[in-house]
Order: sequence, then C-alpha cells, then structure tokens
Amino acid sequence: MDIMDKLTILTDGAKYDAACTSSGVTRKGPANGKGLGNVMPAGCCHSFSSDGRCITLLKVLMSNSCIYDCKYCVNRSSNDVPRATFTPSELADLTIQFYRRNYIEGLFLSSGVIKNPDYTSEQMAKALEVLRYQYGFWGYIHTKILPGTSAELVRRLGLLADRVSVNVELPSEASLVSLAPQKKREAIFTPMAQITQGITTGKAEVVQYRKAPKFAPGGQATQMIIGASPESDYSIVRLASALYGKYDLKRVFYSAYIPAIRDKMLPAIDTKPPLLREHRLYQADWLMREYHFEAEEILSDEEPNFNPYMDPKCNWAVNNLHFFPVDVGKADYEALLRVPGIGPKSAARIVTARRHSRLGMAELKRIGVVLKRAKYFIVTSDEPLGISVNKYTAAKALIDPNSFSMGVEQLTLFDAPQTRFLLDPANHVIEDVREEAALCLATKL
Amino acid sequence: MPGYKIVVYPTDVIYIYDGGIAGFLTCVHESFYAKELPLNIVSDANYEPSLYKHKFVAADEAKAKTVRESIARNISKRALDLTDHLLLCHHEKKELALLKFLITAFRVGPKATSMLGDKEVSDVLAMERHMLGERHLLLGFIRFKDYGGMLGAVISPKNFVLPLLAEHFVCRFPNENFMIYDKTHNAALIYQDRKLEITAVEDIKFADESEEELHYQNLWKSFYKTIGIKERLNPKCRMSHMPKRYWINMVEMKEFL
Ligand code: SF4
Repeated sequence: MDIMDKLTILTDGAKYDAACTSSGVTRKGPANGKGLGNVMPAGCCHSFSSDGRCITLLKVLMSNSCIYDCKYCVNRSSNDVPRATFTPSELADLTIQFYRRNYIEGLFLSSGVIKNPDYTSEQMAKALEVLRYQYGFWGYIHTKILPGTSAELVRRLGLLADRVSVNVELPSEASLVSLAPQKKREAIFTPMAQITQGITTGKAEVVQYRKAPKFAPGGQATQMIIGASPESDYSIVRLASALYGKYDLKRVFYSAYIPAIRDKMLPAIDTKPPLLREHRLYQADWLMREYHFEAEEILSDEEPNFNPYMDPKCNWAVNNLHFFPVDVGKADYEALLRVPGIGPKSAARIVTARRHSRLGMAELKRIGVVLKRAKYFIVTSDEPLGISVNKYTAAKALIDPNSFSMGVEQLTLFDAPQTRFLLDPANHVIEDVREEAALCLATKL
Repeated sequence: MPGYKIVVYPTDVIYIYDGGIAGFLTCVHESFYAKELPLNIVSDANYEPSLYKHKFVAADEAKAKTVRESIARNISKRALDLTDHLLLCHHEKKELALLKFLITAFRVGPKATSMLGDKEVSDVLAMERHMLGERHLLLGFIRFKDYGGMLGAVISPKNFVLPLLAEHFVCRFPNENFMIYDKTHNAALIYQDRKLEITAVEDIKFADESEEELHYQNLWKSFYKTIGIKERLNPKCRMSHMPKRYWINMVEMKEFL
C-alpha cells in the first residue's frame, strides 16, 4: 500500500479525536543546535479544516487494525473498513517533511490496538525515537497511552512525548462496560495515575539535576465521547472536575459523538452530533479552569443539563442576581470574572487601568469588555447606579447567538421533548424560539 | 523624569518622511521643537499632494537617537517597543496616533502603556494588537516549499511583519536555508549559512517545484481533506479563523478560492 493511501486511512480513523493543541511547553529551539524544531508558548494553528477546527498537529493513527470492538468506534474489529499501519520510519519521515514546510507544529499519535497494547506502544515509541534521536526533532509530540499499557512503556513514551493522554472514553463506568467491554476501568486509570506520579517526580528531579530528561513536560490530558451514552451534563462536569483534581490533568476534551454505526445501544444513525452540548461543555470546562467556578455552581441536581439558550456563565449570573451589580472601580479580580462579558484578559486590564483613571462605559469599551452583556451587571463611574434595565432587551442580549447559529439540534438525547421541535430548520421557528426564550428569561430577571 | 510636558499647538501642516523609524523619530523631534501638532504624518510613498502645507522631514540619525533615548528614559522600554511595532503597522493614521500617544506618554511617564481606558493609548495598542495578530496567524499559515537546499515561502500581509517573523523561524530551522518573500512590501527575509538579512527585492521568481515537493504537497492536501468531519461542516467558522486573504499562499487552500 502506498503512503498516500496509508495517510488517508490513518487520518480518517483519527479525525474524531478532539485534542489538537501544542500547549504546555515552550522550547526555543534544538537543545544542541542540531536538528530542528521549537515550541511556542501560545500554541499555533497552522490551518483550519472544513469543520472550522484548528489544525496544529499531524493527527494520525499508528494503525487502525484494532483487535478491540468498541461499539462506537469506526476502527472496531467488526467494522468493514480498509486497514493500514505505518512503519515507524514512514511516520517519522512524514512528520519531518510536513514540519519543514510549516504545515504542522508536530505530531499527535494515537492508535488502534494492533496485537496487544504493549506491542502497539512499542511501535509508537520506535517512531518517536526515530523522530527525536535520528532527526533531532524538537517540535511538539502528543501521544496517546492505550489502556492496559505496561508501566515500562508508559515511562518510555512519557520521556519521548511532550504531552500524553489516556482516554477515559465514556463519562461513566456503566457506559464503558456496555460500549467498550474490552476496556477495563483499571486499565485506564492505572496508567493515568502512573503518569500523574511520573510528572510530579519528574518535576522534582529536574529541580535536582537540570539535565534529567523530562517526563511529559506538557502534562496529561484525556478525552471523552459525549452523546453516545445517557449521562447528564452535570455528571460529566463533575467527572471532569474530579479528573482535574485527582489526576492533575491539563485538559479534558469532549468529542460530540457522530453516529457511524447502527447498534441498538447507540443513538440512531441519523442523530445529529450534539455540537451545542459539546460547546457548552467546553464553556463549563473553561469556567472551571480559568474562572475558578466549581462544578456545583455550573449545574446541579435540580438543573442537571445545560441551558440551551444561555452560556453557563450567563446562566449562573441570572440565577445569582444578588451577586450583582459589581463595581468595576472597586471589585476584586475574582468578582470581575463573574460578570458576563468580562474575561480573564479584560478583568486584568480593568485592574491595571483603574489605577490610573476612573472607568466609565467608554473606557471599558476601549479596554475590550463586551458591554452588550456586561452593562446589565456592573456599576461604573458614569453609571453609579447601573443602567436602567428593560428586562426584555436585557434578556435578548444575554441569549447566546450560538444556540441558533451552531445549527439547531436536539440537546439531550434521551429526554428533551421541549427542545426537540428545534430540529425544524425553518427560520421562523428559530425566531419564535428565540422570542420565547427571551420572554421567559425576562420574567426571571 | 515623568511630567515632562510637551506643548504643541494644532497646525495644518502635513509632515512627510521616508517611512523608516529614524525618519519618524525625527518627525517627533520636529514636532516637539517647532511646538506643532501636524495635521498628519505620511511616508513619501503614501503622500498625495493636497492643498495643505507640507514639510519634508529628512531622517536625522542624531535626532532620532535623542528621541529614542528619551522615550526609554522618560517613558519606558515598553513604550519604545510599542513605537517600533507601530511603524510596522499598515494603519494609515499610525504615525499621527503614535505622535499623540508619545505626547501623552511624556507627560504621564512610565504608566502610559497601562492607561488602557485612555483614547490615545488604546488607539495605538489596538493597532499594535492588529499587527501582532497578523504576525501570529502567519507563524502558522506560512507555507514553505523545498527548492532543493533552500526553503521558500511567499506571504502577502497587510502589516510589515517580516522582521518579527525572523527569530521564530531561525530558532525553528537553525540548520536550513530559507527565504520568506513579502509580496506586499517587496522585501525578503533570507537566512543562509546561518546568516540572516532582510532586503528590499523586486518580484522574485521561484524555480519549478520538484516531484518530491509535489508529492509532499499532495500528501498534505489529502490529510487536510480527510481531517475535516463532514457532519460538522462549518465554513463560516473556518473563514473567521482563517480569513480568505491568506488562502492564496497556502498549499491546501488555494484550490478552494
Ligand atoms: S480500542 Fe480504540 S481504536 Fe480500537 S475499537 Fe476501541 S476505540 Fe476504536
């Protein structure tokens, strides 16, 4: 099979993976002046695919010849698809040639299970060794650790890669048992714990001897599929929060399930991928990582699923009106962060700018605050009592335009009759829903 | 010495300079000593004759040096970087905005660049952000082709970001020879035998692409087409992250134009 066919097959099998960032490490250039490669602190998108996602890394599988039969996966053994496997040197050559042309920041390597997890990991490690040692490649490498990989190979891969991840795959053990029976819970969490441990000791070693090779300096991540199984948004957010806490993960990625397989245990094949739900999960995740929100502030047993019409931060604000208005002249950074329309950057800028002058609406606008939303939640030097609010106008401003532009969709797979009618793509229906959402919200304000 | 008060009076003179940093700093010198706030400052390349008076300000290295040192001493190092950055921007009113900023900044001293609510300050910071934003996009969107012993790329940015691309690519490819040709500004960044230079150039014609080069281009195009998930098609989102004007120089995008 020629390299073109292999690349196509192994990209097709990898495309559902969500992570494509090069974050967590910074490298100025090749350590000894030989070879090539650096890593920028802010990450870098090299292109955007037709679905609007950023392309940073060459995201491919080592092999899609998988012996496992996870029900939701296109690469599962019982699926009738063409199979291919890269040799380590083919993969290394592709990476280098793409990198030299500035197509990519590096490699994101995943794989199906070829014979067993260790055999597969061995092949992956070989490819990374060719890259690192033969080519002197110092660009970014993210590699998956397959569930059940031995401690020795986890260590070997961790020393070669910048970031490693073990996928939790599904948001609960029950779903794992029914949809991916060959993947045991322990097989996932044992390497995950080993990696957490490796990163912590690695950091200590580097402090001691600066030359010690670093173990996964870009940290650990994971990913789960959303919408193939019945968990509520609240349980997913709580799981993510627990993973961040217990395993010190850098990122949790969410991947909207795209039905590719008919199976009575999975959503029907014509189900739209839950893109809005995925979007909300990323927003909630962002709130936990950058805005210091707790999972319990975002959702609750009473409100276990995301509000389709408002992003989680607006939703929190509307449910916590007693917290507002926030005085931009005095409030601390944390309180500023709670205001819809003020993010970490503009909160920091407000704190800097108010040392030198009083901040009115015009100043805030120059600073980059999204006044369209923020103005209902703040008091400023020129509006010391807050602006007078027409509830209906305010409600309209708070409604998330993405609720409608991301493609209307069914929000919860199993029980959401109230959102099902959204599937009608006729525009006047969307307008009606938008109107109704605004009215409903206005009464709440 | 904060509180260094510059007094200038609005005039209807247009300053014309050579477009370079020394030329601009000489304009600043001129404005402060003549106590005049010009109506505009334009480079000779952009100057269109009008009914207004104009003054040709010739670059003077000594005056430029005085202004430069004074900015560093009386305002901040950051203000000096900002000045250098602004000169790379394509915004047509950048020189006047920068002069106004400097007048304010000399008055208030080191805190100038953190007065984010101030109009003079936020104007120049916005221009700088726009320029740095384009630089950041290009770090990813630049496409090299291997011409056998030399990697070559073409860009056509609005802002003159070429000087700010050099360090990144030298760190990345210390052992390659490469050239980035900026079509908009007729300039090229050339890194050869570990030496770097940026020079003015006329239209550059690259050699034909080898079979090997086309092979990797095809592999990349195929990767690009395969990685997109058709159930999630979102051309609007793609366009907002990767504006169309960059596509012309991108191997995988050209055919979609
Ligand atoms: S092990 Fe991975 S590649 Fe194999 S079927 Fe399961 S999810 Fe798919």
